[in-house]
Amino acid sequence: MNPPKKRRRSDAPPSKPFLSGGARPTPRRRRLGASSTPRLPVEAGAVEDTGAVANEADEMHEARGVPREHFSADFRPGEDPPPSSQPLAFEEVDEFGYDPAYEHKVLPLLELLYEKYFRVEVHGIDRVPPEGRCLLVANHSGTLPIDGLMLRLAVRREHSRRRDVRWLAEDGLFHFPFIGNITNRIGAVRACQENAERLLEHESLVVVFPEGKKGIGKLFRDRYRLQRFGRGGFVKLCLRTGTPIVPVAIVGGEETNPLLARIEYLTKALGIPYVPITPTFPLLGPAGLLPAPTKWKIFFGDPIALDDYPPASADDEILVGRLTERVRAEIQAMLDHAVAARRSIWFG
Amino acid sequence: MSSVVRPRNEGPPSSPSVSATTKARSIAVTGASGFLGSNLIGMLEQDERVRRIVAIDLKPAATGGEKTRSYDVDLTQPAAEGRVAEILAEEQVDTLAHLAFLSSPTHATAWAHELESIGTMHVAVAAGHARLRKFVLWSLTWLYGARPSNPNFITEKQALRAPSGEPFFADKIDAEDQARKLSQRAPEMVVTVLRTAPLLGPTVHNAITSYFARKIVPTMMGFDPLVQFLHEADAIAAMHLAVMRDAPGTFNIVGDGVVPLSMAIRLAGRVAAPVPHPIAETLTGLGWISQLVEAPPSFLKYLRFLCVADGRKARSEMGFRAAYSTREAVVDFARAQRLREVNLLSERTA
Repeated sequence: MNPPKKRRRSDAPPSKPFLSGGARPTPRRRRLGASSTPRLPVEAGAVEDTGAVANEADEMHEARGVPREHFSADFRPGEDPPPSSQPLAFEEVDEFGYDPAYEHKVLPLLELLYEKYFRVEVHGIDRVPPEGRCLLVANHSGTLPIDGLMLRLAVRREHSRRRDVRWLAEDGLFHFPFIGNITNRIGAVRACQENAERLLEHESLVVVFPEGKKGIGKLFRDRYRLQRFGRGGFVKLCLRTGTPIVPVAIVGGEETNPLLARIEYLTKALGIPYVPITPTFPLLGPAGLLPAPTKWKIFFGDPIALDDYPPASADDEILVGRLTERVRAEIQAMLDHAVAARRSIWFG
Repeated sequence: MSSVVRPRNEGPPSSPSVSATTKARSIAVTGASGFLGSNLIGMLEQDERVRRIVAIDLKPAATGGEKTRSYDVDLTQPAAEGRVAEILAEEQVDTLAHLAFLSSPTHATAWAHELESIGTMHVAVAAGHARLRKFVLWSLTWLYGARPSNPNFITEKQALRAPSGEPFFADKIDAEDQARKLSQRAPEMVVTVLRTAPLLGPTVHNAITSYFARKIVPTMMGFDPLVQFLHEADAIAAMHLAVMRDAPGTFNIVGDGVVPLSMAIRLAGRVAAPVPHPIAETLTGLGWISQLVEAPPSFLKYLRFLCVADGRKARSEMGFRAAYSTREAVVDFARAQRLREVNLLSERTA
């Protein structure tokens, strides 16, 4: 059941163009014991001292009678991979737990969901910048959070650069066995400022759902009405890191698991926020949690650049509030427009 | 006193003309017979910048040479601070590395509390009294606690949220508090706290090595957290660096990279046995009481949730960079463990 365990090195996926946008394992250079994962690049200037450390480490190792070639030389500053090339490349998983080989294994299922089940249609994908850090801000929905996954697939399949996307997921997810683990291996990262900042420092494309838990727990009658956008944390993040925002509207996702009621009585003890009541759950048991095959459309809006504001303006609560509202209004307008133009939930 | 000839060409770059200009150092090490203590002493013996090594422990350090003077001090005794202060003054110690901590949980919690929490208080009082220039404390990244709400890389700014009901963590958190108070009491003293990731390597013994030494390793069903280790050689190098270089503050000392726990188990050549975590907690509780397992149930959280620290501050401010990645540390441990199992490697070569 525990997916990454069963994989063997020899099953490593061939480099398909689809996956090659992501972090690829780099070839082994040395025998196993001395084989080393490529070092994470560090900021220039941060490594000026490594020579000294290298010497001390070498010295000590010789004192312990370990052959020198086992230990030394693979951390000279000159040997670091250039920071721009593959910032998140590791042999098994990257530093946030994304596992390319595991994703490759489950990819057929995900593509089936994307192509045949939800028949995802993408509009305005070229508004996602071809490179550099960028934050995609989208509406959140569904009792099961599959919108992040679909958005990831959409960009990986449709974007001209096949950019890799990481989405930030509520930490509630990581309480649970299996589900937290599996979503982490296919690209989800726990939502918090530190993680988002680190991802953006690596010039990644990051998805946030500022509605958070309130978004997932939206009742059916509130569908496509955006909830409060947290406390504007994502705007502060963008101001601090100079990241542009691309608003995203996902239509179709909010009907997959129509939530009629939430039961919050005694659920705290179980560690879950609420028990969802849908037309099929708990009536049909766990199978009732399967998402309905609605037609999905994903709309990308024009990027909002925040370059005009200095990083210090992240502390200006009024400005943050205003920008948050602006992004929210933009996504709401895209949603309203798309929902009004739609003729059928099932066929778009 | 620098009669020990350095084995290799030039010395560390920071000391081109060391013996000529700067005063040779006198360094005290508590927990001198422990893994970190004895290896640190071994390194200091070869460092010509060091004139005197003061080993404080119940047992003398096996690595001590002609520079080392061993003192038999029991830090759990009420008068320990006076005794330590005397020794520090007599040997004109300028730097103290406080390494007298347990690396595995013990059933003797009262004694552990006396050693770690009260012992650190004694040592800190003595250090303040002797007006040391520097105080180095060994701590663990485990003290951040494993929680699903942790960021993937915990920085030094985050509060220590390890399960406070567990004496193993509570005593060490208290020791860090003592160090912080010492730096407030004596603002001119360089107080360095090194929080090391769990140590792995060919010779070290602790709760993690005994976990990986099992043929069948229990894991929590449905959880496969990313884990991070520090190679024993890097831990010793970091201690040496902190002793020789002034870097006040708290630093995470970690190996590069992370691996999923399942991968670490496979790298160690073990078989994982997933157990549902409520059952595991009950069984571990029983096993701990009956002394069949190496750690109490509060450690199981570390098999479910993230506790990975960010080592960038140590790199930029202290100049420390681990030579072994997390993955290499596991592989190196596994290699030695394999030899140990066929009796080709004797215990405790440190």
